[in-house]
Amino acid sequence: MLRGVSLSFEAGSFTSIMGRSGSGKTTLLHLLSALEAPTSGSIHFEGEEISGRDEDSLALWRRNHIGLVFQAFHLIPTLSALENVAFPLYPVKMAAEERRERARVRLEQVGLGHRLDHRPSRLSGGEQQRVAIARALVNRPTLILADEPTGNLDKKSGEEILAIFKRLNEEEGVAIIVITHDSTVASVARQGYSMVDGRLEEGGS
Amino acid sequence: MRLSYLAAELVKRPRRSIAALLSMAFGVALLLSLQAYSTGYRLAARAPLAEIGADIAAQRQGKVPVAFEGILFPHSTAPIHRDEIDAIKRIPGVEDIGESVFFWDFEADKSFLVALGLDPASTTGPARLKTALLQGRFLAPADHDVAVADATWAKDKKLSVGSRVTIAGRSLQLVGLVDTSRIGQIANANLYIPVSDARALAHAAKNVMAVHDFRADDANILFIKANQAEVDKVASAVGAILGKQALISSARSFSAVIDQAYGLVDRFGFLVGLAGLLVALVGLLRSIGSALRERRRDIGLMRAVGWSRGNVIVQLTSEAVALALAGAALGFALAESATWALSSMRVTIPVPWELSPTPHFLPGGALPMAVTIPLAARVEAGATILAFGLAILSGLLVGLWVSRRATRIRPAEVLRSE
Repeated sequence: MLRGVSLSFEAGSFTSIMGRSGSGKTTLLHLLSALEAPTSGSIHFEGEEISGRDEDSLALWRRNHIGLVFQAFHLIPTLSALENVAFPLYPVKMAAEERRERARVRLEQVGLGHRLDHRPSRLSGGEQQRVAIARALVNRPTLILADEPTGNLDKKSGEEILAIFKRLNEEEGVAIIVITHDSTVASVARQGYSMVDGRLEEGGS
Repeated sequence: MRLSYLAAELVKRPRRSIAALLSMAFGVALLLSLQAYSTGYRLAARAPLAEIGADIAAQRQGKVPVAFEGILFPHSTAPIHRDEIDAIKRIPGVEDIGESVFFWDFEADKSFLVALGLDPASTTGPARLKTALLQGRFLAPADHDVAVADATWAKDKKLSVGSRVTIAGRSLQLVGLVDTSRIGQIANANLYIPVSDARALAHAAKNVMAVHDFRADDANILFIKANQAEVDKVASAVGAILGKQALISSARSFSAVIDQAYGLVDRFGFLVGLAGLLVALVGLLRSIGSALRERRRDIGLMRAVGWSRGNVIVQLTSEAVALALAGAALGFALAESATWALSSMRVTIPVPWELSPTPHFLPGGALPMAVTIPLAARVEAGATILAFGLAILSGLLVGLWVSRRATRIRPAEVLRSE
């Protein structure tokens, strides 16, 4: 449960929110991505309130503006890396070739141009998370919300993922909010918060 | 709906797909195989009459001859009068009538023959024999005092084309030989003569007139061609015109004596097939329902990355319909294989005593008569369309039910890592 949380993020910012397990940081990320609705209060995105919208309109909003990265990757096991990246574009009316091309470009961007046809079971944890990042980027989002993106990875893979986030933020201006309990991850961000028992405190990197 | 995603889900989760596929295939195969079996028997029941281009044979039971001398009618072929024939012609659904006069001839020299008077111009009834001509020519509409003989009988009697045969003192010239067996067991005779000659001979026969009021334009067997959709109705109407003594043979009367198993399949086959499809529906539901539990995260992910409820419903329903259709296609192939196997069966159809040409007291006359033909089982287009339609409907119902439940999944719950 979150209490008295009030914060805003600038376009192109890189923010970390640290906290222990059960502190409410994942709930905050779900509220920010409109996967959950606040019981009170409101959430605004680019000046417009999104918290009162219906589910389909929120799904469309996520598709157009948000990229989500999860600790457990959540790739579709039956699809190849390329198809997983293209997955958010499936409901979008566009030529199949364009969809494949956009997915391919994003996979190359995260260094997986040679793994296009591999299914998740044939990829390492670090590679799976890179596929998940490419999927988050395929809709050209303005904001990426990442929940413990390095939580399931070894140190080297974790550093590679953070490097990708940093590059995306600096080179493409994508705003990034990372939820983590790892201070190394938080140190990459330019702005940091801590969550303790559902309350937000400034500083955390 | 994404076809590549649909195909991946169906192909790369084979256990679930195969279970659903097999249950639907079982239902469709059962429905279509039973229909093919039933169709085979229905066609078989039509075969004895169909061989002579008729759908119904109408006779009337009458009195037993007082003496077996000269020309006489078997007691199953009492006269059918002209007014009755005209009334039958007026029955809706009657397309054509082949009028015949059938009689036995016991000659003074103890020889015996079976004769059938037929209208050579008719295409319904024994005039079909013209297709079984072996030698000489067939009867022509203007013919008198000529006959066509069954080749086997003629050989036995040492007769050939050009020979003369005598019936009740009337000399007839043999103009052709036919292979009677080619038109089955119905309307078989030793000699075939113009119906006008047969009428005249019967009208003049002492032992016919002793027990019957046979008039110059009567007949005693009618071969009726009817509209296929109205055969049973026509048969009933003919029976009503000919009264209590009517002997009506049709596909229905033959099917009644064919095989008890057929009777059961004909009566309950469709219901059993539908029950099979219901089992398939349950199988599909269980299989796709369990897939839903397996794919809760995937569905949560769809919503999280921007799929609308409609997108999810269309995707999952398409998967269910595709599985149902693939199952129906497999079921159709199985039914075709079963039908091919059924086609190697032969059906024996007992021919009722009243259609037997030979008196029971003569050698061979008491032997049971039967027509044996291959079972023409076939999967009909209508049943196939119905089976595929029901399969699609099952897929739609299951898909919609499952996907509506799927859209109630809360992404935030299923995507949590802890």
